[in-house]
Amino acid sequence: MSDVNLIILLSTISTGLILGSIFALVAVGVTIVYGSIWMPNAANGQFFVLAALLGWTMTVSWGIHPAIAALLVIGISVPLSYALEYVLVRRFYDVPNRNISYFVLSLGITQILTGIFSFTYGRWSDQFQLPPLVGGITFVGPLPVANNRLVVLALALAILASLFALLRYHRYGRAIRAVFQNRDAAALRGVNVKASYSLSFALGNAVIFAGGILFALAYSFDLTVAWTMSITAFAIMIIGGPGSVLGALIVGMVFGFTQAAVSTVASPTIAAFSYLGAMLLILLFKPSGLFAR
Amino acid sequence: MTHRKSMLTVALASASVALASAAAIAQEKPPVKIGFVTELTGAWSFFGTSCVAGLKVAEKQLNPPGKRKIEFVIADDQTSPAQAVAASRSLDVQDKVLALSGPTSSDTGLAVYGYAEQNKVPFVVPVAAFPQLTKPGTRYTFRLEPDAVGWGYAISKFVEKQKPGGKIAMIYSDYALMRAITAGIKYQGPRSGLKIVADIVFPQGSNDATVQAAQILAAAPDYVVVSGAGGFDNTITNQLLDLGIKPEQIIHPFGITTQVMNWGKRSVGSYYGTFFDSNLDSLTAEGKAFVADFTAQYDRPPSYGENFCYVTANVIREVIDANPEAADDREKFRDAMSALKTKEKTSGVPIEFDKNGARMEYMYFMQMTDVAAKTYKAKQAFYIEWDPEVIPVYTLIK
Repeated sequence: MSDVNLIILLSTISTGLILGSIFALVAVGVTIVYGSIWMPNAANGQFFVLAALLGWTMTVSWGIHPAIAALLVIGISVPLSYALEYVLVRRFYDVPNRNISYFVLSLGITQILTGIFSFTYGRWSDQFQLPPLVGGITFVGPLPVANNRLVVLALALAILASLFALLRYHRYGRAIRAVFQNRDAAALRGVNVKASYSLSFALGNAVIFAGGILFALAYSFDLTVAWTMSITAFAIMIIGGPGSVLGALIVGMVFGFTQAAVSTVASPTIAAFSYLGAMLLILLFKPSGLFAR
Repeated sequence: MTHRKSMLTVALASASVALASAAAIAQEKPPVKIGFVTELTGAWSFFGTSCVAGLKVAEKQLNPPGKRKIEFVIADDQTSPAQAVAASRSLDVQDKVLALSGPTSSDTGLAVYGYAEQNKVPFVVPVAAFPQLTKPGTRYTFRLEPDAVGWGYAISKFVEKQKPGGKIAMIYSDYALMRAITAGIKYQGPRSGLKIVADIVFPQGSNDATVQAAQILAAAPDYVVVSGAGGFDNTITNQLLDLGIKPEQIIHPFGITTQVMNWGKRSVGSYYGTFFDSNLDSLTAEGKAFVADFTAQYDRPPSYGENFCYVTANVIREVIDANPEAADDREKFRDAMSALKTKEKTSGVPIEFDKNGARMEYMYFMQMTDVAAKTYKAKQAFYIEWDPEVIPVYTLIK
């Protein structure tokens, strides 16, 4: 294999890994919220962009180091989520078929945030690029990869691994999973279901915010990425199986690789909708998703 | 001596009275309203707000005493064609503007174009570059910016001069503007003896170009024409540079100030097309004053978008000054625009419209030489003028 072909192959793999890990993060965040409180959060793309915009403001306008900015952005998501949960989300906890109400509610939040972003940040939409976490280039074989992207990839994978460990081994994680599986049984076993709802909402959004800030650290972005990410996260969740964190993680990675591979062998335009075609195909044979609970 | 003094006094007094009367007459008439429909919010607002910034600088000296006041009524089209039509209708019917102007996006520009041509409202386009804005049969629309297919022609001519028989790769976002530019390259490139070795298009909303940058590298081009939408332009540029493409191989079809500064020091040596630049040697005294005034106010030098909007205001002033009757009559204003032969006050480049309202076209190619925190340096590498229909711009892209 010539060096040039090897560069194309390696670039496909590196792109698949980085995109896949970010897709997985966002989809896991959406899944945690859906699995716990049945909220199909259509505003996840706007939360993702909010994280990126906050990161941009902190680093470019205020001169904060990107690593500190990333921590601050993820930190900010927690009180924001609790406030949103307290003011709006918890009012629907006892509403029958609340997933429809939640979907409409999150569409409303989406529209409001879209308007606010457009009005406040729109004029700079050609400039959204964060300074790198680290400089320099590392050669992976013949492929030069920016160290910044390698760090972003490592952080994304580390967050996914920590999340997986939290949900599997920590008592809070076990409580969330118990609510995922059967909230009445979980309540009978002493799990505070409503507290678990609040925690899930905050945790899910924190993961989406982490995805947003990591994405902004790896790539320049604009306001339209909100819609792309929102649709992608829903597609991943549906294919993975609504409420399945493992499904979201695996399918997110597969989506990233699919997009990279299709854009190599076909074109970026076909890649952009290829996984949506794959979603329809999979749902034809397994409507409940690949990893349905 | 006394008699001479008296004569002089009488003459001065008469002149003063005449001037005062003229001023009074000018002030008595209501201001000439121009509807300015532009992108203050939405995806294209970075361009629309820059345009308004250029317009505001022009407005400072647009209405000297004694002249009929020109007033720009600004409306936000939200980067939405439907909203652009609604705003145009409101400005036409309610505000009763003499003419429309303002769009910086081809999509909203085409929407206003449809309204203007149908309702016989003169429409002065400052920045939008899609060719169909001046398609054959156009009567009320006049465009200051050269059409984007023509930019492709100019890029081909530039590469032909730099490297006869050279190889070009193209990597761009799927927007009307980029499709038009690359249509021009695909048409003119082979005619200029150039070979197009890669043609990669990204859907709107793309964010990563790692693989495609590698494919460009594999094609071994002499020059890469890079045109990503918004921030994606930086991503593509950086990923090409990461893989070893040299800055001197990169040509951006257009470069506005914020873009050039975002490309950063890594891109020093690369080229970009433009229609006005603060680094041009040919800036007139007014052009230098415009750059200084704009920079003082907005903390960055203006680029061609701001300049076209500044020039638009001045062109309208010039037309009304030369044809006072056109200030209250749309047909006369249209005729006066059609007959206009002037120069941009900022750069001295001729302004003249053909039968379809397309301007006699031109383009500069600049090479970046330095980038600092709030400014940049570039030198002129190439300049070209051409007839709007030097290539079949209206059939190459619809």
